[in-house]
Amino acid sequence: MADVAHHSPGINGSKPPVPTPAKPFTPEDEAALIEALKRCSPATVEAAVKFRKTGDPACVPAVVIGVIERFAEPDQRAKLREADDDLRLIEDLGIDSLTMMEIVILVEDTLQMSINNDELRHLRTLGDIKIFIDCKVRGLAPPKPSRFLPIEHIGAVMPIQPPFLFLNEATVGSNGASAKYKITGDELFLKGHFKDNPVMPASIMLEAIGQLAVLFLLEGGHGEEGKQADPQTIYFTGCEGVRAHRVCKPGDTLSISIKPKRLKMPLATFEGQIRVGQEKAAFAEEITLTYGLRDVVVAPQAAAVSAVPAIPAAAAASIPATAARAIVPAPVA
Amino acid sequence: MSKVYITGLGLITSIGNDVAAAGRSLRELRHGFELYPPFNKPDVPVKVVGTIKDFQVDSYDQEDWVFPKKYTIKREILRGLAPNSLFAYCAMLQAVEDARLAPADISNPQTGLYAASGGSPFFTHHYHERMLKVGVMRCSPLGIVASIAGTLNFNLVAHFRILGASCGFSSACASSLHALGFAWEEIKSGRQQRMFVIGAEDCNTDSILPFAGMRALSLQSDPDLASRPFDAARDGFVGTGGGAVVVLESEEEVARRGVRPYAEVAGWGQASDGYNVAISHPEGVGLHLAINLALKNSGCTPEEVDYVNAHATSTPIGDASEVKALKAVFQNPGTRPAISSTKALTGHGLSLAGAMETAFCAIALREGFMPGSAHISKLDPTCEGLNIIRATLPAQPHVVLNNSSGFGGANVCAVFRRVP
Repeated sequence: MADVAHHSPGINGSKPPVPTPAKPFTPEDEAALIEALKRCSPATVEAAVKFRKTGDPACVPAVVIGVIERFAEPDQRAKLREADDDLRLIEDLGIDSLTMMEIVILVEDTLQMSINNDELRHLRTLGDIKIFIDCKVRGLAPPKPSRFLPIEHIGAVMPIQPPFLFLNEATVGSNGASAKYKITGDELFLKGHFKDNPVMPASIMLEAIGQLAVLFLLEGGHGEEGKQADPQTIYFTGCEGVRAHRVCKPGDTLSISIKPKRLKMPLATFEGQIRVGQEKAAFAEEITLTYGLRDVVVAPQAAAVSAVPAIPAAAAASIPATAARAIVPAPVA
Repeated sequence: MSKVYITGLGLITSIGNDVAAAGRSLRELRHGFELYPPFNKPDVPVKVVGTIKDFQVDSYDQEDWVFPKKYTIKREILRGLAPNSLFAYCAMLQAVEDARLAPADISNPQTGLYAASGGSPFFTHHYHERMLKVGVMRCSPLGIVASIAGTLNFNLVAHFRILGASCGFSSACASSLHALGFAWEEIKSGRQQRMFVIGAEDCNTDSILPFAGMRALSLQSDPDLASRPFDAARDGFVGTGGGAVVVLESEEEVARRGVRPYAEVAGWGQASDGYNVAISHPEGVGLHLAINLALKNSGCTPEEVDYVNAHATSTPIGDASEVKALKAVFQNPGTRPAISSTKALTGHGLSLAGAMETAFCAIALREGFMPGSAHISKLDPTCEGLNIIRATLPAQPHVVLNNSSGFGGANVCAVFRRVP
């Protein structure tokens, strides 16, 4: 029987895990657990019992999803079954903060852990919850919470602006970012691409992925002490394995997401993809940007909007790294 | 200043779970009492309760509850309810349908909701115990909302998206008649165009049995005998619960919507005994004054009153006080209203009584009858001189009074008038 590491409930679980002998799981405990989970699916109950007996973290996602499902309205449950980690509890599942508390209480009871209020506040998507609980169970510090950025914030920090900004809203976390862009049909280039048949160019979809990567660099808290990524130094340098799977048209909402692969100044490489609903629309195995640092600035740079002529982070043709404008300050050791 | 009308009713009571059923029970003097199984223990001296049929709400887990299928209630709503607010929620759905209200009529700044309930001692007890046993953080986040006295207004104002006036009233057994009076004021003053008036109680051991400690409950074990206001051998009240909703609207709204009201609420009055926390004034001074103020407020004379729905709960002391008050008001030879207490049929609904009995008066005015005062074998001699009707009178009343009295000596009287 594996030991389950219980870490003492410090702030954000910052203390290292202290292995303690597992509390014995008696038949009475099992009966109480089954009673507590009586409105969950049999699979959820099974996973919960297995977790309490073996302490195997692999059981945890099934328990968490099962508990969320139990509290979601019946007509919302289908969404959970086909869910991806971006499914938002509030906006997509209609779960309010009180229901979150009910979910947490049952999860705490089932997995025998303690979750405090501060930790809850940042859990917005299914993915957030799974990662959080998984960290808790393994006795690890949970990742820094992801932040939701509305268009106003994006506009204030990005060096890229309309009419060439393809992000309506975004969520940036420590492990990646996601965003949405709705193709309105008023985009200038659609008039010519194609004649009488507006289709979102694949190159622009790649651009959108790149822009989200830019946003991640600016808002993801990367950089050494006292320094942050400098918006005026971020340029596209290359991409690999780019594929387009779906013709996207006005009315489609692009769900863009990126994951960092290698971040070592001056280069940042990401994997990115775009979906429309559940369908794959575009994929980039790698998209690489160059960037430099500057001292931390407290307020977002509104001035950056007019001062710097926007250079696209990506274009159909790559910009050679040695182009005159692309001189990147030498990295400081 | 606008007249005020009753345009809709909703009822979950021991004598019927809708207006039609309750109306029949009133006419035919059918009571709602049973031997209450949880009281079937040697150490429980009380045996009879006015039970709510077709609702199984004895579990602390709201998702276990069983109630009539016509009410579909989302879990998100159920989780903050106790039995009293469940009854009120169902009654509210009925009232909305009865008054033919559209969502825009319900949710606007000119429509408010006043409510009265004692809260849920059932849930309060459960959550306090749970807090001590497993810790407060494992208690339902909605424990407080489901338990404390404001639970009706918290839940109903939120779930029905009420944007106007909202408040809870706690004057014990006078509560929902207070709610009615103040709701009337809101409309009369023009501050609101429509008010929902709601009373509800749990109807279980925790809400009823404590009154036995005060020796206020009947110890009778015969459901046909136990509740007998004005009878010489009465020995205490029989508890009940449920939910009642009365929809009040302004003249303007009635005209705009083209609905036919049950009755007009002509006015009301209140006065207090200032005598004892639990015992009514022996001469019924507070109630006497309350009735006179109500008559004055509505421009009616004692001669015009056809029927009085008495508060009379079947306690030796309470009924006696009311008899004194009624005799003092209706002294003149030309005054001889029919008087009855419908608590002989329903039991005493505590905070629910005022609203429930207002609904009964409204039904009587619309359908043209006056329910008799049931279960009287031998009328108390002190009632001599009062026309306490033993059988239902199939005659149309025009002016009706409704009395409610509560702990501390609160007394409220409301006057209803037939709509031609």
